Amino acid sequence: MRDKQHFSAIEDQRQGPQMSQNGKDKEGVVPVRKGLTLDEVRARLNGKTGKKYWRSLEELADTPEFHEMLRSEFPQQSSEWIDSVSRRGFLKMAGASLALAGLAGCTKQPDEPIYPYIKAPEDLVLGKPMYFATACPFASGAVPVLVKSDAFRPIKIDGNPEHPYIKGGSDPITQATLLDLYDPDRSQHVLYRGETSHWGAFQAAWRARLADKKASGGEGIYILSSTITSPTLAAQWKKAQVAFPNAKLVQYDPVNRDSAYAASRAAFGDYADAQYKLDAADVVLSLDADFLSSAIFPGFHKLARDYANKRRLDGTTEMNRLYVVESWTTTTGLKAEHRLALRASDVPAFAAALAGALGGGASADFNGTDDAKKFLAAVAKDLKANAGKCVVIPGEHQTPAVHLAAIAINQALGNVGKTVVYTEAVNPLPTIQTDDLKSLVADLNAGKVDWLVVLNANPVYTAPADLKFEEAMGKAGTIVHLDSHVNETAVLAHWHINSAHYLESWSDARAYDGTVSIVQPLIEPLYGGHTAHEIIQAMLDNPDLSAYDAVRENWRPALSGKGDFEFNWRKALHDGWIVGTAFQPKNAAGKAQIPASAQPSSDALEIVFRPDYHLYDGRYANVGWLQEIPRPVTNISWDNAAMMSYGTLGRLGLAEHDVVEISANGFKVKAPVFAVPGHPDNSITLTLGQGRSRAGRVGSGFGFNAYEVRTSAAPLYLTGAELRKTGDTYLFYVTKSHYTDHRAVFVGGDGSGTHSLEGNEAIDRAIVRYATLEEFRKNPNFAHEGEGREDPEPDESLFPAYRYDKNAWGMSIDMNACVGCNACVVSCYAENNNAVVGKHQVGVGRIMQWIRIDTYFEGDLAAPRAHFQPMLCQHCENAPCEQVCPVGATVHTPEGLNTMVYNRCVGTRYCSNNCPYKVRRFNFMLFSDYETESLKLMRNPNVTVRSRGVMEKCSYCLQRINAAKIQADKQNREIRDGEIVTACQQACPTEAIVFGNINDRNSKVRKLKEQLRTYGVLADNNTRPRTTYVAEVLNINPELADGLEA
Amino acid sequence: MAQIFDRSSNALARMSLVLTGLIVIALGITLDEWQRSPWWTHQGQRADQPVPFSHKHHVQGLGLQCQYCHTSVENSSYAGIPPTKTCMNCHAQIWTNADLLVPVRQSWATGESIVWTKVHDLPDYVYFNHEIHVNKGFGCSTCHGRVDEMPIMYQQNTLQMEWCLNCHRNPAVNLRPESEIYNMAWTGPSELKPVWCAVKQQAQTGVPTGQDVTCTENDPSGGSGGGLASLQMPAGLHAQTTASDAGGAAAVPAVLNYQKFTSQEELGKFLIGQYRIRNPRELSSCEVCHR
Repeated sequence: MRDKQHFSAIEDQRQGPQMSQNGKDKEGVVPVRKGLTLDEVRARLNGKTGKKYWRSLEELADTPEFHEMLRSEFPQQSSEWIDSVSRRGFLKMAGASLALAGLAGCTKQPDEPIYPYIKAPEDLVLGKPMYFATACPFASGAVPVLVKSDAFRPIKIDGNPEHPYIKGGSDPITQATLLDLYDPDRSQHVLYRGETSHWGAFQAAWRARLADKKASGGEGIYILSSTITSPTLAAQWKKAQVAFPNAKLVQYDPVNRDSAYAASRAAFGDYADAQYKLDAADVVLSLDADFLSSAIFPGFHKLARDYANKRRLDGTTEMNRLYVVESWTTTTGLKAEHRLALRASDVPAFAAALAGALGGGASADFNGTDDAKKFLAAVAKDLKANAGKCVVIPGEHQTPAVHLAAIAINQALGNVGKTVVYTEAVNPLPTIQTDDLKSLVADLNAGKVDWLVVLNANPVYTAPADLKFEEAMGKAGTIVHLDSHVNETAVLAHWHINSAHYLESWSDARAYDGTVSIVQPLIEPLYGGHTAHEIIQAMLDNPDLSAYDAVRENWRPALSGKGDFEFNWRKALHDGWIVGTAFQPKNAAGKAQIPASAQPSSDALEIVFRPDYHLYDGRYANVGWLQEIPRPVTNISWDNAAMMSYGTLGRLGLAEHDVVEISANGFKVKAPVFAVPGHPDNSITLTLGQGRSRAGRVGSGFGFNAYEVRTSAAPLYLTGAELRKTGDTYLFYVTKSHYTDHRAVFVGGDGSGTHSLEGNEAIDRAIVRYATLEEFRKNPNFAHEGEGREDPEPDESLFPAYRYDKNAWGMSIDMNACVGCNACVVSCYAENNNAVVGKHQVGVGRIMQWIRIDTYFEGDLAAPRAHFQPMLCQHCENAPCEQVCPVGATVHTPEGLNTMVYNRCVGTRYCSNNCPYKVRRFNFMLFSDYETESLKLMRNPNVTVRSRGVMEKCSYCLQRINAAKIQADKQNREIRDGEIVTACQQACPTEAIVFGNINDRNSKVRKLKEQLRTYGVLADNNTRPRTTYVAEVLNINPELADGLEA
Repeated sequence: MAQIFDRSSNALARMSLVLTGLIVIALGITLDEWQRSPWWTHQGQRADQPVPFSHKHHVQGLGLQCQYCHTSVENSSYAGIPPTKTCMNCHAQIWTNADLLVPVRQSWATGESIVWTKVHDLPDYVYFNHEIHVNKGFGCSTCHGRVDEMPIMYQQNTLQMEWCLNCHRNPAVNLRPESEIYNMAWTGPSELKPVWCAVKQQAQTGVPTGQDVTCTENDPSGGSGGGLASLQMPAGLHAQTTASDAGGAAAVPAVLNYQKFTSQEELGKFLIGQYRIRNPRELSSCEVCHR
């Protein structure tokens, strides 16, 4: 149907597995254990007396050798495999392991103890999970969640489906905060000058200091906190400010909302948040706003859901059209109908020119290519035509000028009140954070700071490089640090207080629409942590008031309005939100003046700073799931890279994985380079959050630290960087190359150097199918017409067909709705006890994810179109894997599931070889962690923790199916549609995944499968997949359709 | 050249071939027997427990209902081991100085669990669920044996997969009326001891459940005889049975259409239909127990 060339990005990166091989030979590429061995570490530890093991180890960590050892030691866990093992050595090991495996199977089952309760908790039914509502606090608005708790251990976090704003769905970070709770590297003690101390000692010291400072009004007391999200904490601070008027609070997050707030103050005279209503918008323009990627963008969940709801083509709404102008490649950009890659510094001029064209400001010039100008004109026309039904969304990481332009355009087009409303800021104490930090550093340098209390922040790592925060902080009299890990800041602080996780403590937070959720503890603090509430409360008259009482008192008036407070309080806890606390739209009458933006020369090299999709600003660096799961778009696992366009890569004479030294304003950082399709030229994107030195055993030492070149003057992007090739290479792993088969030109390569089986099959066998809205209207059956799109008849098989009398489970994935955000992947890890394998094992293709997001790029390297396809076990009715298993370990169930019987599996891996979808994962080693105590608490008790030598794959969340079946069977009824929700479906913020019984004519999944757009991937194999995809439809603007209609 | 081997070597060679075969077969049989032996399966073995708790005394002697201690058997995969509190409900008042109960009192005083040894211990890759079995007409004694006659708890059956499958392939042999789930002495109907069953109106839930089948060992048509099983048992244990019998017989006798069963096969078949037990193909599919 389309002559466009699909390519499955891997190919053009030219470095699939071969690169790994080459790379290993090079000096310093693979973390080779050199110098310090484990024995030597032990020897050094023995020399140190009177210190905690881990504490001492961390001191040692300063040596580069130790970093390397950490890097290579932990991820592979106990059973490290040295690749360069000789054949003889291998045979010896194989023989030994065979003997051991045999023996292990023959040991008599040991006696198991039972530890019953003394007094059983009243509501507990062991074996049945309980659900509690709470909220995951986040600087861009809390995510109200429903936490699954098994015997009072939180084991799964999902969006609260009844919450009026979120309505279920979540995101990778929220999902992974579970592992953050059970992180064995969490700080477990109060430390005073590096020695274990206790909370009481700190309290005494803190209160004594406060008493001393009472007279001077708290002069010299400085609180440096990450963005305060809790209204109660803000209220506590306001009271403390009255008691100590000279004490200062500084909030600083490296990923902050300074631009948005600066703009709202300029336009409205006050801090305001914009709430975009995509359910009412037919045309959406994003000005560098990555609103479909993750919770980092304020209001992500609702934006993603509303965006997807307008693309279901179910006749209930008009389909929307998304334009994206962006400075690097994001999932939002790749979802757009029309995408324009602009350097970050060109976006303000683009925005100003657009505002001028739409009557939102003075007309302004935009210097760009002809394509960019054409794009601008077409967007302007389309927006104008849809005035009142369109919306312009500015990016969080763009300048205030872009935000002002967006406000002006939305005002000029009459969108305010319809597709966008402005409300008060979601965080109770909004400030311009970078300015505040600068003044704090000035005060530190002036010696004015007596006590610096750092709350849940890691400024030594995150502060702009030019502020030399570490040096300045040293001038404070006493440094107190409250955080979950003994991180870069903690080791320099006098006091370190181990903080309680949000699942362990009382607090409150607002969702982005303002709805208040009470944060309630799900588990007793594992290490007796403390919260910011307690530290601030110490400044008040009743210093011992607990966080629980503080939160209750704070909401007592609001909850006493109608009826009994206790009842309303319990209802708020039960439901997960307080009714009627959503913000009301503000009167946004101000006029936005758009400052003139100069466009720098297009030759000047530019650096763009962005938060990592998973690690955010680095605070989640020690969460194995987030490190390992490949980032959207780039599919880089465990590392970050300096991302640039292929054009720039070529112009600078670089190859991927080359290490370059990037310098700007006298600061420099070394980073490996990586080319990303669709990246603007002469621009380098650096993601924050990697290169941690003290994240913990998982997160330390991966990637590079982009904060080293980030300055307070240019925290978003800077122009005029220089780049120097160092001659080194650094190996990072791009997982999308793992499931690629290479084949030569003569077996189907198109002769252009693209030999990817997947790339070719994407065309030949139509793995990805899509049409424009117009084509779809003309031919709704487009997904089934053309070469490679026919579905074979069921009886065209040597194998007899199965009968499915009752239930037949199936899944439908809407490619129009999938935004490639990875929420499903993390959710799957949490639900199914998937193992983290570590960077090295990822490098050899052993990542254990059951569901992956395949990104198929298409078209020009500089301006690609892309398609996200979640790929998981297709549960084929004619499954190739089942027919080759010699031991019947993968079998077909009467309901059509293709199920794994782990205890039968002997690890031949024939099934994986025979799987056309490459969704089976093999435990080459003991990847599951059987040792770490805290991780045992996290496991889903209804899913086997797989051992070495066992194949595994998506089970359609069999444990959930069985649980629903048992409930239905108990009541002698059929399972209701929607009763079984798979983990991926539950996490999906856009409801792209639907699961159910395809034998039920009224089920949602059946109806989706009956749509003409539904197709099976590689269905021409006659695998008869149970997982089907709903083909994409793009609402193309005919004026920009060039190149699409080939 | 002289023969190296004597003629008799042929016989020796043949014999050793046969012997090797026999040894292999014997080894196979031995291994097979060994893995079915009680040493391997724990069948019939009495583990050392901190308190020699007697089910016989508490169930048969005192007439405690199973769920008094195993509270979640109808609602959860896990039947539940009673907390120390359950013991102390009585033993705070009786046998307060018994030496045997020292661990119980110690647990109560210190807040440390009494550490029992698991008697019925399935491998971790088997996901057994009590809830569905108990709600679908499987009595405790079907798997656990006559617990009421066990002074010390032991495992009555092998709990091997083969044993599970025997029933999953043919549940009819073990199904019993819901009212008899906790009846340890239930042996199924026979010519001498028939059982009458009827289906009640599905008034409450709207959907039929196992509870909607009512059975009795007393002839509902008013004839004499029956009730042999219950006569053997203390009255207390049968409170539930008699209550439901009375309810079934007295409240809506006209509506109920009783059917007489004189063999377990017949009753099993009837109950499979009423309880909507899944067919053997579904019940013996791997994913039912392994995931």
